[in-house]
Amino acid sequence: MLASLDQSAFSTWLLSSNSIWAYPTVLTLHTFGMMVLVGSALMIDLRLLGFGRGIPLSSLERLFRVMWGAFWLNLLTGTMLFIADASKRGTQPLFLIKLTLVASGIATIILLRRRVFDGTKEPLVISGAAKRLAFTSLLVWSAAVTAGRLLAYVG
Amino acid sequence: MPELANPADLAHVHLLINHFPTIGMILGLGLLLLSFLRKNDHLKKVSLEVLFLIALATMPVYVSGQAAAETLKGQTGVSAEAIIAHNDAALASFIMMEITGFVAWLLLWRMRRIGWPTTGLTYTVLVLSVMTVASVARAANIGGDIRHPEIAGGQYAGLFGQSSGTPLISAAAIKDFVLQHPFVWPTCETLHFLGMSLMFGVLLIVNLRLVGWLRGMSFASVHRLLPFGLMGFGINFITGMFFFIAASEQYTQNVAFHYKVILLILAGVNYLVLTVYDEAWALPASAEAPLSGKLLGASALVLSIGVMYFGRMLPFIGNAF
Repeated sequence: MLASLDQSAFSTWLLSSNSIWAYPTVLTLHTFGMMVLVGSALMIDLRLLGFGRGIPLSSLERLFRVMWGAFWLNLLTGTMLFIADASKRGTQPLFLIKLTLVASGIATIILLRRRVFDGTKEPLVISGAAKRLAFTSLLVWSAAVTAGRLLAYVG
Repeated sequence: MPELANPADLAHVHLLINHFPTIGMILGLGLLLLSFLRKNDHLKKVSLEVLFLIALATMPVYVSGQAAAETLKGQTGVSAEAIIAHNDAALASFIMMEITGFVAWLLLWRMRRIGWPTTGLTYTVLVLSVMTVASVARAANIGGDIRHPEIAGGQYAGLFGQSSGTPLISAAAIKDFVLQHPFVWPTCETLHFLGMSLMFGVLLIVNLRLVGWLRGMSFASVHRLLPFGLMGFGINFITGMFFFIAASEQYTQNVAFHYKVILLILAGVNYLVLTVYDEAWALPASAEAPLSGKLLGASALVLSIGVMYFGRMLPFIGNAF
């Protein structure tokens, strides 16, 4: 199954085409999506941890849309990069760790949105539970970036 | 991708701009001293802006110097010892310069928020800029020994080679450290990506607010986040320097890197304007930014995405690993 993916015509095109629009562009879009998604998540986490208290939480709500856009972009480009190298990635522990970390990061975002950005009144103080969740989110996203970047170096 | 410059062009660029750091630092320090004499905070702000801009302008000076060294390698009438000594002295003064620029920026940011310069930071900038002037003058002086036989009496006398011994910071030692330990490069790459995300998160909020897509926040409240952006840049400057020192040829001869440095400098100027920008500072939560603010925000986003693009494309447009 995995082998048939990385022997597909798509995989051959992505990896061996000399076009800048093949592998380089897909990889760059994946990096762009990461930067937008993780950057936005870090900002929301920092705000909940007490930096930039003057920024109303409700004004940050639109960032969730940005994050979802970046997430779908990276799901698409990530799938393309996976198909190109399926039999290696599919059995690589670090890759599975990375997927788990990304899924956990998304889970923290969904939870934060439900619990803190629920559209009601602006909270006067951020609860301890919300701060712990924001801190977890910060750690999980940093770990996800680390695992993803190290995929280029770990065999 | 059109080529911008070959190594010989960059050697020329180095000769054109290599006096900026020395003269610029002296100018910045002079304005700072004058602002004390005149007790003028506006002049102090100008001097800090000069120090920050010179810290930016020093980046292409250091980078082009590396290309100049590659071009000069093996030529007659050129002192290899002087090149190595100049490189090490230049690296030390480059680091000093960036620290000075960073603290100068921090004081500008504080001044924008509270309205006056805080004493501790002001004197830190003063001490740092005096040290940087001394350090950059020393680097420039050794640079002059590379190919000015009239100064060294017709032959390079090894003036600094004899007396200095092991330099405080050695580019060759850093290169060996990065290349001999397999964990260093991947670690720096990881930190480089984390720094990038932090920096871009800040740029995203501040500039989407200016452009008008994010609403309901005052400019002053997002201005609070700017130091995190510069912190991200600091991480990326340090890790980026490890890459550059360890494998300079793959950057000096890489057109993607040339574009990246140019966009980085423009983005840096843009960041300075964001920090001190008066019209935007007063914006309440509900107000729309003036056209200049919108253009500033849009250009910051375009420039920073451009920096990321050329960084990611280094191995594909050029030859970096």
